[in-house]
Amino acid sequence: MAVPKRKMSRSNTRARRSQWKATAPNLVKTVENGRVTYSLPHQAKVVTDSAGTALFLEYKGRKVADA
Amino acid sequence: MPTPTKGPRLGGSPAHQRLMLANLSAQLFEHKRITTTETKAKRLRPFAERLITFAKRGDLASRRRVQSVIASRSRTNKGIVHELFENIAPAMAERDGGYTRITKIGNRKGDNAPMAVIELVLEPVSPKQAVVKEAEQAASKAAPAEEPAVEETEATETAEVEATEVEAAEAETEKKDQA
Repeated sequence: MAVPKRKMSRSNTRARRSQWKATAPNLVKTVENGRVTYSLPHQAKVVTDSAGTALFLEYKGRKVADA
Repeated sequence: MPTPTKGPRLGGSPAHQRLMLANLSAQLFEHKRITTTETKAKRLRPFAERLITFAKRGDLASRRRVQSVIASRSRTNKGIVHELFENIAPAMAERDGGYTRITKIGNRKGDNAPMAVIELVLEPVSPKQAVVKEAEQAASKAAPAEEPAVEETEATETAEVEATEVEAAEAETEKKDQA
């Protein structure tokens, strides 16, 4: 198995890791019962009860799967 | 014919992909709805819909063709072929393609793979489309302009009368409740 000959310096490690970037998801804005919600487009949403427990996944008014 | 898929096969080899698609479609016809990765769901869709088209044809040759795909190795899968031909195909009789529905349900915990639910569309073809078809047929016939308008006004009148009746009935019940 190929192994590195030299220790990788802290500087090089950090220079590499500084290139890691997070990308913001593109969300869609919808108004439900007068409340503004943001959600991922074209994806089923989790329906919760008043206590915040996840009940099931819903998409376009159709139950898709259990949460 | 569905467009040939670009890129590598599912699972690595053509044989593995054939087996995966056969197993996925068998499970889809057995359970009517399966959860899998988005990629597999997208690959499965044309494959499974083709099998349903064979099932709608319904003759012995097409049944043997579907059996050779789904039930060539497993004898228990013969029951699934029966289910497909006897129950699923009649339910799809009115539907011209689009037998399956894919809904994305987010990423899987563990490997963050985008998951999807693929299910058979077993609901009857939407009444809206039937209405549109009827309307087109009516329009193709003579004197299309005036008849619908007359019908609409009549319908609204009857609806209003019914509404008032319902309101009166509710008022009466409320009075009874109060008394």
